[in-house]
Amino acid sequence: MNAIPQLFFDAMSLGGIYAMAALGIALIFGVMNLVNFAHGEYIAFCVFALIVPSTDAVAVMFIGKAPAILLIPMLLSIGALVAVASEFFVFRHMRNSTPVAMMISSFALGFVIQNTLLLVYSSRPKAVSLWPELNKPVSIVGASIPLLQIIVIVTTLIVVVALALLLKRTRIGLEMRAAAENFTMARLLGVRANVVITGAFALSGALAAAVALIMVTQTGVADVRMGGQIMLVAFIATVIGGLGSLPGAVAAGFLIGAASVILQGFLPLEARPFRDAFLYTLVIAVLLLKPDGLFAPRSSKPRV
Amino acid sequence: MKHFITATLLMGLATPVFADDITIGFAIAKSGWVEAYDAPAVAAARIRIDEINAAGGLMGKQLKWIEADTKSDQAQSASAGLQMVDDGADMLIVSCDYDFGAPAALAAESAGLNSFFLCAEDIKAGIQGVGPNSFSASILAAVQGATMAEWAVKEREAMTGYVLLDTTIEYNKGICTGYDWMFPKAGGEIVGRDTFLNGDASIASQITRIKSLDKEPDVIMLCSYIPGAASAVRQIRAAGINSTILNGSAVDGSYWLDAAPDLSNFIVPVQGSIYGDDTRPAVNEFRDAFEAATGAGPSSTYAYPGYLLIDLWAKAVERAGTVEASAVTAELEKMSNEPTAFGPRSFSSEIHHQNTAEMQIIEITNGKPAVTGSFTISEPVPLAVLLK
Repeated sequence: MNAIPQLFFDAMSLGGIYAMAALGIALIFGVMNLVNFAHGEYIAFCVFALIVPSTDAVAVMFIGKAPAILLIPMLLSIGALVAVASEFFVFRHMRNSTPVAMMISSFALGFVIQNTLLLVYSSRPKAVSLWPELNKPVSIVGASIPLLQIIVIVTTLIVVVALALLLKRTRIGLEMRAAAENFTMARLLGVRANVVITGAFALSGALAAAVALIMVTQTGVADVRMGGQIMLVAFIATVIGGLGSLPGAVAAGFLIGAASVILQGFLPLEARPFRDAFLYTLVIAVLLLKPDGLFAPRSSKPRV
Repeated sequence: MKHFITATLLMGLATPVFADDITIGFAIAKSGWVEAYDAPAVAAARIRIDEINAAGGLMGKQLKWIEADTKSDQAQSASAGLQMVDDGADMLIVSCDYDFGAPAALAAESAGLNSFFLCAEDIKAGIQGVGPNSFSASILAAVQGATMAEWAVKEREAMTGYVLLDTTIEYNKGICTGYDWMFPKAGGEIVGRDTFLNGDASIASQITRIKSLDKEPDVIMLCSYIPGAASAVRQIRAAGINSTILNGSAVDGSYWLDAAPDLSNFIVPVQGSIYGDDTRPAVNEFRDAFEAATGAGPSSTYAYPGYLLIDLWAKAVERAGTVEASAVTAELEKMSNEPTAFGPRSFSSEIHHQNTAEMQIIEITNGKPAVTGSFTISEPVPLAVLLK
């Protein structure tokens, strides 16, 4: 077994998940200065959408039964729909509120989604066997890695490239970038605020669904609290990346994934249970050195 | 005269209201995420209460129960405990988990009442963490780990073991402590160890470490709980590692088996089988009674301690002739290999738990769980190991 490629693939695949989740958060922060803490619950919601609503201990597949070609677009739309609905019912009414008020309401929204799931599906974790064959290992340059890891890495790269193209080459992308730079000015210049914000939420929700699909294929379980941990890491990635910077969020997502895998691989056994403490110490160190994040967009700095 | 009236009033307040019933207070989670773990054990406890009432009650009195919701919240657990004490409970039954049950158990302790955890498996859920009148009806996590270690060496001739510890909760550490104590003692060698967290999105680097061993270990002791355990097993098996996987009771139940398709060589120690194939007919009878009473069989072995705790407490009350805590505690502490449907149970003035017990060994083969036998460790886990 070749250690370096193995480490590289382990790091890239974990980083890929984090990057995708971070992108979903950064997108929304970019257009409306909202740190959407309900993002983790979007992920859990999408996972539970795969199974029949019931409080029974044994889960029965619902839309999870559909073939991949139908299932993937269906789940991405569900994710987009949930995010757009939360914008329409909650955040739209808070456009003029302070970022803190919006953040608190995103927490509240997260609680509502989580408790709804709890009520409908009960608190017991459920087994969801989606595409188990994707976990079979394949050999690449001396490393033995599950097919899913390659899919995660490739998908993340595709999503990042597609998003970059969308932002650079399309009208809505241009409007989103303008909105991210300076929302008020963009509106004054004729950017359609509702379209931009709804678009950002839809994309963010679809990214949450993509993370949900990867998580459930990898772990095989659905748990109402499963979005929490990933949301935390993703949020930290957006902060390290420089709030509002999309490439920054992706890069920081990969960075945190890599740091986590390297710590797990090289820390001595006694220190390994404190892996996350070391990880977050690194985060603090980064923020002390670069308080605006590693890739802070120019717009985040005062101009005068 | 004034003093006389005051004294009479005070006496009136201090004397308990004459009651013909004995009241059992449940301070348990009826909502929130702990509810799924408390509810089956509570249902089992009520079956035993109904049985006792049908047979004429306890010391000729009927048992009645009252309950308060902890809402799966530690602060609410304390107030639920106080509410039960105020409502006149004679003993308290508290949430399964130590963290969620302890605040209510402490309320019982300070009111001078007995408390029983529904299924806590940490030594703290008793004298060490709550006080002298607190008990748990389940089997200590360390005993589960030690049972796996000795069983694997004696029954499966396992020579090499790997330890994969989920450091999220104390229960997991308890299982691994028991395993670490027993496995080398029984003749096995621990060839490596690693840690992970229950919510980890991937355990790829842990798997890489196992795969880089010279030889696949005979057994992997997985100290974790669902969902993290299910996700770890799915990833371990997918990576082509076929070692026998040993576990604690927390992964019992077939509801999560879809997460690891066609799972084999997977061992779970439990206090009673939920599949109707327990080696003791009394357990199977109770399993059927549970199904008849609740409409479905128990989803994991953690329903059983609910039944057991009422059974043991009622016996102690009968012998003490009172529900007064110190007298009942003294009777419970006298129990040594007390026969029950789930095998013998003992308490002592040091340990209000089982530090050795007959456990059913469930093996999962091709995704089907079945009892493969029963096993008792050759020596009880010493207190020093339990307090590690």
